[in-house]
Amino acid sequence: MDFQGILDRLVAIRAPGLVKSDEPRKADPKDKKDKGRAGDPFVIVEARELAEFVRACRDDDRLHFEQLVDLTATDPSKDAAELWINVQLLSLKFRHRLAIKAFLPKNAASMPSLVPVYRASQWHERECGEMFGIRFEGHPDPRNILLPDDWAGYPLRKDYEFPKEYHGISCE
Amino acid sequence: MANEVTKTMPPSTRLRRTDASEVTVDIRTPDLEINFGPQHPATHGVMRVLMRTDGELVTGAQPHLGYLHRCAEKIGENVEWLQYLPYTDRYDYLASMNNNLGYSLAVEALLGVEIPRRATLIRIICAELNRIGSHLVAFGTYGLDIGAFTPFLYCFREREWMMSLFEKICGARLTYSYIRIGGVFNDAPPGWFEEVARFCDVFEQKWPEYVDLLLVNQIYVKRTANVGVISREMALDFGLSGTMVRGSGIDWDLRRDMPYMCYGEIWRDGAYKIPVAKGEMGTLGDCWDRSWVRVMEMMESIKIVRWCLDHMVDGPVIGELPKTLKVPAGEAYVGIENPRGELGHYVVSDGGKVSVRTRVRGPSFCNLAVLEDILPGSLVGDAVAIIGSTDIVVGETDR
Amino acid sequence: MTPALLLAQEAAAVEVGSGSNAFLEGLVATLGEYLPMWALWLGAAVTGVAIVMGLISLIAMFSVWLERKVAGHIQCRYGPMYVGWHGWLQSIADGVKLLLKEDMIPRDADRVLFMLAPALVLAAIVAAMTAYPLAPGVFFADIDLGVFFVLAMSSMTTIGVVMAGWASNSKWTVFGAMREAAQVVAYEIPLGVALLVPVMVAGTLNLREASELQSDWYGMGWFMFKNPFMLPAFVLYFIAALAETKRAPFDLPEAESELVAGFLTEYSGIRWSFFFMEEYAAMFLMSALAAVFFLGGFESPLTWAAGEFFGRELFVAGANGATELNLQAIPYHAVAGLTLLLKTFAGIFLMMWLRWTLPRVRVDQVMTMGYKYLTPLALVCALGAALWEAGKQALLG
Repeated sequence: MDFQGILDRLVAIRAPGLVKSDEPRKADPKDKKDKGRAGDPFVIVEARELAEFVRACRDDDRLHFEQLVDLTATDPSKDAAELWINVQLLSLKFRHRLAIKAFLPKNAASMPSLVPVYRASQWHERECGEMFGIRFEGHPDPRNILLPDDWAGYPLRKDYEFPKEYHGISCE
Repeated sequence: MANEVTKTMPPSTRLRRTDASEVTVDIRTPDLEINFGPQHPATHGVMRVLMRTDGELVTGAQPHLGYLHRCAEKIGENVEWLQYLPYTDRYDYLASMNNNLGYSLAVEALLGVEIPRRATLIRIICAELNRIGSHLVAFGTYGLDIGAFTPFLYCFREREWMMSLFEKICGARLTYSYIRIGGVFNDAPPGWFEEVARFCDVFEQKWPEYVDLLLVNQIYVKRTANVGVISREMALDFGLSGTMVRGSGIDWDLRRDMPYMCYGEIWRDGAYKIPVAKGEMGTLGDCWDRSWVRVMEMMESIKIVRWCLDHMVDGPVIGELPKTLKVPAGEAYVGIENPRGELGHYVVSDGGKVSVRTRVRGPSFCNLAVLEDILPGSLVGDAVAIIGSTDIVVGETDR
Repeated sequence: MTPALLLAQEAAAVEVGSGSNAFLEGLVATLGEYLPMWALWLGAAVTGVAIVMGLISLIAMFSVWLERKVAGHIQCRYGPMYVGWHGWLQSIADGVKLLLKEDMIPRDADRVLFMLAPALVLAAIVAAMTAYPLAPGVFFADIDLGVFFVLAMSSMTTIGVVMAGWASNSKWTVFGAMREAAQVVAYEIPLGVALLVPVMVAGTLNLREASELQSDWYGMGWFMFKNPFMLPAFVLYFIAALAETKRAPFDLPEAESELVAGFLTEYSGIRWSFFFMEEYAAMFLMSALAAVFFLGGFESPLTWAAGEFFGRELFVAGANGATELNLQAIPYHAVAGLTLLLKTFAGIFLMMWLRWTLPRVRVDQVMTMGYKYLTPLALVCALGAALWEAGKQALLG
């Protein structure tokens, strides 16, 4: 199924939390500032409904997204008020992918965990938690995974300041 | 240690007199917590698995990562698009060509640049040779984990030639940075394709040695069959990919099922097959199945290389690109079939010289998550076999 | 004849006349008036131990070199090539390196046991080694319970290994020690029972006598060919010996990919090399037992021919009743000694070949194999051999 087909199906099954789709487009020749958008199409979903949304995607027999390939976050810029949550789903049966994006406010970065739906997201969520400071409600094991347990700050946020030292080891 | 055990001994282990005539003794001792790593011969790098053992039986396991974390994703947000390429070499250092390829394809997906056909074919040759090399290490070191030293050196004998082939084409033996955004760095030197063809011929002769020496060795089969079984459902739930899902009997390969470059064309030509485990020696999805898939895939890669050599065309090897790359705003996720599974690159651009986000979805990272579930209940020796069969490269789990 | 051999021969207990120790007798004769008896005893003992130690070191060094060459050639490489011709000095270089290494004892280790363990292991193997006959007339100790003594002494090393594992105060070493204990207990039984088969055929536990009994059929009267149950018994013995000497595929106590280095994890330098020497000496002894009790010991057609030609008696009664060295018989003894050595090293080579070919067996499989297959099979072999011998005696008188 192509992206349009998936989108139609999502609308048809009333997937919870679906906001809209975003597809790549050419630059508008009349608008000088508009540079268009390249890359993949994706759907935008409410962050609070994300777990239910992916559950619907997994359980629908025509979408059949058996695998969660990736779950990550993005901090678009220093001034941005919201983080993006990016999820990649994959259907082995129908050989299609779906990119999902959700927005989370930086100052209250908390959303339900996807672990009950896909256990694959367990380590990805731990990584997002330590790198972006996102709290996944209901995560079974919300420890740091790559960073030391006592690491201060969230390194992949754009406003992160590099530490001067760590336990007496100079970082400069 | 003696003291430590005595101190933590639960009361039930002490002698307890129930009545005058009989004495009951509970001889169970407390579990031993043991650090499997960070420096351990079988973790293939600096990874730590905290294991809880009852004698030889593993009752719990918890992988601890991050000893090799080098902030690849953060670096990606601070260097220019092309400058990031050498960093991709460093996460899965056994399959650097594939990493270069994955990143290049992701950036190219945003750029929309045309890749010359010669460049595409050279890319496939390099990626497949690298896959052979990676599987050789995986299989060889797996033999080492099981306790067979010799197959390891047999594997490295062929890998040596593969690396010298890469040395001839790009000057490096491990971290190539050869596949660039828009094509490949330079054309193959004269006589290189002929040598690759010779390598394929010799490899086909040597390949049965691995099968005879290790894969069908009765002790090897006894050690790996029915050990570390990953069921179909588990493989899907944990988002496993590559040899891990094929080892669980799922017929899935990104090269065929979501073709990139000209893998689709090669498939339609019938040049290669996807080996899928059938649980021949034990339960479907055991360690033996995974290693079988790897050994079989080497031969399929040889066939793909042969196809590319036969269909080689003349022409440029890199597309037209400006010196300082500015990538159009947008975001793209490209997953390719790395030797270890799906290597995904998710790149976000705001139209500038530097990426906003470079996300690496490492196959080892995702494949490793399954350890917590399949290790308990195995023996310590099995734990080594299971960790080895997931074929992780710690550089990539930690990035 | 090398000086070592001469010394060994002097130190050897030879049953001539009174049946006492020839070396000690010589000492008493020459120094008896100057030194007390206990000093002479001590001197004889120290000399004997020094010779056995020297022999063990030589065997270990040669075996290590051989192992590396065998491993190299099996793995499509050469092995050591730079130190001497084909690296034959490599073991000496390694020995020097090991001697010069820092003597390290972990802080939390049990110091006394930690230091005692390698010594105990080495002492046990030195004791076991005394039963090895260098030649039909040259040996350290002509023990009537030879096989029993060797098995008893070589299983003493297990205590040292368990001690090392416990004293190191590391979890990996305890794993190694436990595995060693379990494995040795499991494999002592089939080892002993498999050896019972040739012992039954021979009717003696003495290594030298057992070898002598195989000198018929022009030196080819090996026990191997004298009883149909001997071949399975040999296979069982060899497998059990592999497990007993902690060699791959039964190297579980070390299992470098599982237990880091097992009971050896905390050892380094000279202490570590003691364990190493023990391993190779144990391999040598096990192979020697196999050679003596299955493969004819000293006997081969060449030994037989040398015996016929040069005569066999090394010591003869002289004109005035004193014992005299029969120089003529020396070539026969040299050929016999070399034959045994060759057979022993053939066994060692087989062990190396297996080590560099096979993967390691898992711990439960080792136990299953020992208790469920090897032990019953060995018992069946012993029973069969006993019936065969009894039947032979009944039929042939």
